[in-house]
Amino acid sequence: MEILLPFLAASLVGAGVFMVLSRALIRVIIGLSLISYGINIAILLAGAGTGLAAPPLLDVEGPYVDPLPQALILTAIVIGFGTTALLLVLSLRAYQATGTDHVQELTKKPDPVEVLGSYADPERPSISPEYGPAEKRVKDNKQS
Amino acid sequence: MTAEALLILSVIAPFLGAILAPYLGRSLKARAGYPLILCFLPALFLVQYAPAARANAPLTAGFDWVPALGLSVDFRADGFSLMFALIVAAIGILILAYGAAYLGKSERHGRFFSYLLSFGGAMLGLVLTDNLIALFAFWELTSISSFLLIGFWGSRKASQDGAEKALMITALGGLALLVAVILLAIAGGTQQISTLEFATLRSSPLFIPALGFLLLAAFTKSAQLPFHLWLPTAMEAPTPVSAFLHSATMVKAGVILVAKFGFLLDWGLFSQIIMYVGLATMFWGSYLALRQNDLKALLAYSTVSQLGILMSLYGSGHAFAATAHLVNHAAFKAALFMVVGIIDHETGSRDISRLGGLRRKLPISFIIALPAALSMAGVPLLGGFISKELFYEEMFHEGFLPMLIAVTGSIMTFAYCLRFLKVFFGPLRCENPNVHEASLRLWLPAAPLSLAVIAFGILSINPLKGLVFKSDTLAVWFTNLAAPSFGYEPGHLYLWHGFNLILGLSALTWALGIGLHLFRDPFHRFQQALTPAWNNNTLYYKALAGLEHFSSWFTHKTQGASFASHLRVIVLAFALIGASVLWRYLPENLSPVPLAFWLVALLIITDIVGVLMAQNRLSAIIFAGLAGVASTLLFVLLSAPDLALTQLLIETVTIILFLSVFRFLPRLHTYVRPRSLTLIDGLISLGVAGTIFTALLAVQTPIADRIKDFYLDYSKSIGGGYNVVNVILVDFRGYDTMGEITVLSVVAVSVFALLRIAVKRAKSESNDD
Repeated sequence: MEILLPFLAASLVGAGVFMVLSRALIRVIIGLSLISYGINIAILLAGAGTGLAAPPLLDVEGPYVDPLPQALILTAIVIGFGTTALLLVLSLRAYQATGTDHVQELTKKPDPVEVLGSYADPERPSISPEYGPAEKRVKDNKQS
Repeated sequence: MTAEALLILSVIAPFLGAILAPYLGRSLKARAGYPLILCFLPALFLVQYAPAARANAPLTAGFDWVPALGLSVDFRADGFSLMFALIVAAIGILILAYGAAYLGKSERHGRFFSYLLSFGGAMLGLVLTDNLIALFAFWELTSISSFLLIGFWGSRKASQDGAEKALMITALGGLALLVAVILLAIAGGTQQISTLEFATLRSSPLFIPALGFLLLAAFTKSAQLPFHLWLPTAMEAPTPVSAFLHSATMVKAGVILVAKFGFLLDWGLFSQIIMYVGLATMFWGSYLALRQNDLKALLAYSTVSQLGILMSLYGSGHAFAATAHLVNHAAFKAALFMVVGIIDHETGSRDISRLGGLRRKLPISFIIALPAALSMAGVPLLGGFISKELFYEEMFHEGFLPMLIAVTGSIMTFAYCLRFLKVFFGPLRCENPNVHEASLRLWLPAAPLSLAVIAFGILSINPLKGLVFKSDTLAVWFTNLAAPSFGYEPGHLYLWHGFNLILGLSALTWALGIGLHLFRDPFHRFQQALTPAWNNNTLYYKALAGLEHFSSWFTHKTQGASFASHLRVIVLAFALIGASVLWRYLPENLSPVPLAFWLVALLIITDIVGVLMAQNRLSAIIFAGLAGVASTLLFVLLSAPDLALTQLLIETVTIILFLSVFRFLPRLHTYVRPRSLTLIDGLISLGVAGTIFTALLAVQTPIADRIKDFYLDYSKSIGGGYNVVNVILVDFRGYDTMGEITVLSVVAVSVFALLRIAVKRAKSESNDD
């Protein structure tokens, strides 16, 4: 018992880490959930030990398993789910938007003044009627 | 209904309307604006408490919010607050009616009215609240709702940019206000604004920092130099929004702050700072307004300039003149914005250089715009003239320099008002050949404002008493309503003060203003030649780019170049720490392993191998799910029923989530790791596993039992439950769980939103195929 359970926890985490280090987003997500399985078991072992005792309910006979790590794990399980869910959907969107599930280099943002002209910087409007703001706006509307 | 209930309702009703608006918008489309007018009525009914406010016995109402922290929601309709609430409600009603006529068929009406009403509610709360913390909360609400409104046409780049700029700058001010209200509450020993005392605050060392932050908040929100840059770009909002937010309400929030805390700020250096910042803003705003070709941008800069006037008057303690001008400005500016909306709506353009002679095609709009623009210019018989005279008079007393700035600023103000009116005169120039007057529904909401502008100038509240020109105008009713709040004696607003120096200065202003208008072309060339290479906008973008550059540099330096390599560093360190303790702890007295544990162990190992070998998405997901089920079994065996239940539920939901998006997921076998990297990663994973293994062996001896015993002993007596784990979660660590719930709700909203976009996108793509 003292060796088997730590071994299981360690294998789960190890496999999870291997998955997380890969570059495909799905593998990363699955790897993260494996890690959280392993860590949950680890927390339980660290606090409750492997001795077989009653669950921490006051209406059963003691000795009880330590309730505190269980409360912590409960939180961890739920938060772990939140992380997995968000990551899954986020990577799905990233995949849709970029067409790849590989980590991409961030593209540089263009200078707003160059793109928007006098809209972004009305303190320097062009006063020539050929290049008035309204014309640009009409164009914008047509595009949209 | 009791008076207290009405006061609270007047703030809450717009928020209720904001909740209802999406449903109304779905069925009534743009016409939803009409029934929603009801939401501003409670605030308008507050007018019946004006006599009480005038007698300095204002209506108050409130309820405890978090009694343990001494937080309460207090409202107090003192003269100034009541006056402003009436302005917000009245203009809010007109804007709703205007918006209902202005919006096209394909807009998102529900959303629009919802944002607009929550903004109106926040504004009413801001003026009526008597609690410092609530003041901050409402202040931030106005920032956020105005962000949503400015970015209403969010698909346009300019809209995004304007909304972002407004949020960045006003949120900066919001943070400053948070610091300021906390400092004031500490220094003054109370959170009630009405019970703050100057003497107590003055003796505190926190006084000066508090005022500094207060000023920063006021200057950012009211677009004073050098923070004025957000207001003009905020004009990307739909015109009804501009008329509401950027003329009469939102931008006045900073002015309100200076006015409300005027009794603190009317002190030495601060009053000078505010006055000169205000005057500088007035000058620069009107200078830039003259450069604009876009009618809306012209009005935006004129708002900046007018806010400067208000700021300098309130700052230097001339609350009577300031309040008179505030009332006038609210009326004429909202009317002008509505007229610009009509021009834009009918001609399809707001470009001064492409419009002309519109008075023949848009006669009613012209009649509405004329008094409003002339009032802004300070032409006699209109409200703006009277308050501008007062402004001159007060600045005259302040000294030569303030006077000089005020007059030059006003000359340019006069010129840009003429520039605005130019679109109505001269030969007809318009790109839309079929231009015709707007519908009644569109111009009717603007008409009362224009009438008010005239009434504020000539309509006497007591015509029998003396000559019309020598008796008080309607505006004085508003202005004197605020008298008890500022402690000034009720004053008079006369049209005619006799021949004096101030009138002479006004005449000079008109003459030079007309001159400036006549020589506008040389002046434009002059302005063009003087254009500096940099200004606040360029600095803003540079600062933003710098910030982005810095944060990416910082992240790069501290967290590695790519996700995987950055992880490698972390887990490697982890593995090294573990390895160093490997040899120190080895368990003694091994206990036998029951059969059930062997079976679970077998299941887990199988799943791990399955996940690692999986060549397609489905099997990887299923094996991972099975590993979760196996750990559920382990929890059962280790006497942790709550964990087992939770894990089982979560596992089910996770699988459902995975399968629901399964068809959109990328395939699994896309990226093959280079062999050398596989080896490194394998070693690292082994190292981590080894660390966990050794660490767990090391901590087999349980830690102190005292913690466990505490929970077991007190679970029933304090928490009132037999299930100790549950009691810990919901009672002993209740805040933690609350935080967890918050995180989960945020995740749920984000997942829902992202999924909706993802599914919509996937559907449209499959349709394209």
